[in-house]
Amino acid sequence: MPWAVLTPKHAGWFRTSALLAGASLAIFVVWSWWTPWSPGRAGGLAFGTAAAAILYLDALYPLRRRLLAWPLRNAQQWLQFHIYAGLLGTLFVLIHTGFSLPHGQFGWWLLGLTVWATAAGLFGVYLQKHVPDVLAHHLSVEAIYERIPELSARLKTEADQLITGAPEVLRRFYLTHVRAELDHLSPAWSYVVGFRPQINRRVEVFREVATFLSPDERVRLNGLQTILSEKLELDVHYSLQRLLRQWVAVHVIPAILLLGLLTVHIVSVLIF
Amino acid sequence: MTHSASTSEPPRSGTIAIAPLVDIARLKQYPFLARCSDIVLKKLQPNVLEQYFEAGQTILRMGSYTDAAFFVAEGVVTVRLSPAESRSGPLAPPTALPRSAPMTERIHSILWRKKEAAVVQRGGITPGATIMVGDLSVDLRSNEDVTLEAGEVFGGLNALSQYPIVADFVAKTAVLCLVIRAPALRMMFKQRELADFKKMLDEQYRTQTLGGHLRSVDLFAGLADETIARLQATAELVSYEPGRLIVEEGTPADAFYFVRGGFVKVAVRAGAADAAVTYLRKGDHAGEIALLLDEPWPCSLSAIDNVELVKLPRPQFIDIMAQHHPEIQELVWQRVIDQLKERGSVSRAPLASRYLQLAMDTGLINGESVLLIDLGTCTRCDDCVRACADTHGGTPRFIREGSKFRNWSVPTACYQCTDPVCMIGCPTGAISRPLGTTEVTINKDTCIGCHNCVKRCPWGNIIEVPFHSPALNRDIELATKCDLCLGRAEGPACVQMCPHGSAVRISFKDRALVTRTLSR
Repeated sequence: MPWAVLTPKHAGWFRTSALLAGASLAIFVVWSWWTPWSPGRAGGLAFGTAAAAILYLDALYPLRRRLLAWPLRNAQQWLQFHIYAGLLGTLFVLIHTGFSLPHGQFGWWLLGLTVWATAAGLFGVYLQKHVPDVLAHHLSVEAIYERIPELSARLKTEADQLITGAPEVLRRFYLTHVRAELDHLSPAWSYVVGFRPQINRRVEVFREVATFLSPDERVRLNGLQTILSEKLELDVHYSLQRLLRQWVAVHVIPAILLLGLLTVHIVSVLIF
Repeated sequence: MTHSASTSEPPRSGTIAIAPLVDIARLKQYPFLARCSDIVLKKLQPNVLEQYFEAGQTILRMGSYTDAAFFVAEGVVTVRLSPAESRSGPLAPPTALPRSAPMTERIHSILWRKKEAAVVQRGGITPGATIMVGDLSVDLRSNEDVTLEAGEVFGGLNALSQYPIVADFVAKTAVLCLVIRAPALRMMFKQRELADFKKMLDEQYRTQTLGGHLRSVDLFAGLADETIARLQATAELVSYEPGRLIVEEGTPADAFYFVRGGFVKVAVRAGAADAAVTYLRKGDHAGEIALLLDEPWPCSLSAIDNVELVKLPRPQFIDIMAQHHPEIQELVWQRVIDQLKERGSVSRAPLASRYLQLAMDTGLINGESVLLIDLGTCTRCDDCVRACADTHGGTPRFIREGSKFRNWSVPTACYQCTDPVCMIGCPTGAISRPLGTTEVTINKDTCIGCHNCVKRCPWGNIIEVPFHSPALNRDIELATKCDLCLGRAEGPACVQMCPHGSAVRISFKDRALVTRTLSR
C-alpha cells in the first residue's frame, strides 16, 4: 500500500485533532489516576456528552450543501470536519467508557456500532484516496459511471463491425474468446487490489493467434485487442466506481443505527 | 453615398434569414471597392453583406462582440455610452434574514433556503479581467452623443482584435451598412488596390487606441505624452496568419512586439523539435530584453491564430529606453528573471511544455476561467454537477465529461473565453459580458433559442435545454452555459462543493499558475 494514502491532505485539521486527542487522553489519565473513572461520574459524563454532541454534529454532513458557515465554508472543510470529528468522537466514547468493555447487550451494540461506523469511515477515506489515484494514473480510459454500460455496448458494436468480412480463423477466435467478454460488464471486487495482471492474461491469447494471421489481418486483430483492453479497463472503472458508491451504505447504515441507539441511551440516562 | 436600384434587396435587420450575396456591380459602387477586380470581389462576396437598420435600432451594443466592420453607406449612426446601471443585470438582492428575526425562522431559512437567497449583487471590474479598448474614431463623453455619417467605418478593429464594443451604435435615421466580416477584412488588407482602406483602419487604431495600448505596457506606463505620440507615429501594424513564424530564435532582434489581437506561441529549440515556453495574449509584449541587451532572439515567436501586432522598430525603442533607462531598469531586470524562470521551468519539467502545447492546440489558452478536475483525487461523486444544478434551478450548466490530459479532465463547461465568439451576432443581445468582467451570461428572458451562440462556440460548451419562453409564449431550446454562478457570493458552486478540492478554476492568463497547476 503506498504510504501517500496515509498522508493527511490538510495538515491543520490533523494537527488540531491530534492535539485535542492528546489533551483528552492526558486529562483521562490524570483524572482516572486521581479518582476512580466511571461513565456516570463527572469526567466520564463530560466525555460522554462531548462524544454525543460530536456524533450528532458529524451526522449533519449530508447537509453540507446547505449549512455553510465559518469554519465550514465549503465541502472540503465539511469533509475534514466529518473525518476528524468522527475520530475524536470515537475516542471520546472510549474515554467515556474508561477503555473498559461494556457490561450489558445495549452497551455492546453501542460500542460495536461506533467501532464499525468508524472503521468503515476510515476504509472509505482509504478508498477515496486510493481509487482515484488508480483510475487516473493506471487506466487509459476515463468514464462517467452512469455511462459505462453504454460505452461498453458501443465497444461491442465496434468489435462486431471490425470483424465483419474477417477470415474464418479470426471470426472463430472472436466468437469463442472475445465476444463473451464484450457481452456484459464484469465487475470484480478483486480489482481494488490490482488488475493489470488479469487484463494482461486476458489479452495474452491475442499474441498466440497473431502467428496464424497475415500482416493485414493482424491490423484487424490489433484493433480487436485495443477494443477488448478498453472494455476490460471499463470493467475496472465500473468496479472501482461502484465500490466508491456502495461503500457509503456500509458506513451510513450503522451510523444511523448508532445515532438511534445513542438517542435511546441519552433519553434513558436522563429518565432513569 | 447614393445607390442605384439593385437586383437583390438587402435584408431588413432583425430577420435571421440568410442574406443574399451582394452583386459585384453593387459592391463596385462603394468607393473603396471601386478599383478592385471582379476576382477579388468574388472572393469577398461570401463575407460581405448589406444590412438596413431602422431609425432607433441598435446596430452594436456596448459590451457585445462583433466579427465585422460596418461601413455606413447611407444614413446617420449615433454613438453613445450606455448608462452603467443598465448593465448590472437582473440579479436578485441578498435575502438573508436579519439578526432580529426569530431563531426558528433563521434556522429554517438556512436549511430550506431558496437558491436565490444565496445570490448577492456583484458588479464592477473583476480583478484580472481583460479590459478592452475600442476603435472609435470619435471622442466620446458620457453625456453626449456623437454621430457617424456616410463613408465612416466602425467595428473593424473590434472584429480583428476581438475587443468588445465600448459604446452603443444606434441608427439615428434609416441606415444602410455594408457589413464586412473579419475574413473579408483580412483578405482586403492583402489587396494592393485596397491599401487605402487598410491605411484608414490603421490610422483609426493608431490615433485612437494605440496610445492607450502602449500605456498598458509596464515599460511605457510612465512615459510623457509626447514620447507616446512619437511611438504611435513610428509603430508598424502587422498581421500574421495562423502558424506563421513571426521571429526565429537566434536571429537579430530587430523590433519590440506588442500583441493587440490573437495568441502567439513562444518556443525554444529542444533537439530537433520546439518546446513551448509560454504564449502571449492580447496586451502582452516581447523583445525588450533582447533589444536592450543587444542579443539575438532567445526564442521563436509564431502565430497560433490570426495575430495582430504592433511592431516598434529597434532604433525607436532603443532611443526611448535610453532616455528613460533609470526608471525602467528595474522592470527590465524583473522581466529577465521571469523569462529565465519560464525557460528554467520548461527545461526542468518538459511535461510543463507539453501541457502548454496542449493548451495551445486545444484552445484552452482562450479561457479566463476554465474548470479543471484533478482525476487523481476526484472520487467521481458528481457533487460538482449536483451543486451546479442546485444553483441553476435543477439544470446543471456543465457536463463532467470532456478531454483528459494525464490526470486532468477538462469538463464540458464554458471557458469564459477572452474573445467570446459566442457573443457575435446574437440577434437580441441575450448573451453578454459586462465590460471588464469575466462571466459571459445568457439572459433567459431575451434568448429566442436561435442556436447562434451554440453553433459559434468552438468548444461545444453551450448546451440547449427545453424551456417555455414567457416572452415568446412558446417552447424554445434555451441556450444555457456556465456563468460562474454569477451573483453567488461564494463563487462557482462546483468548486466550493467539491469535497476533495479536485475541481479548480484557472485563468490561462496566469501562465505561472497554469504551469504550476497542470504539472502537479
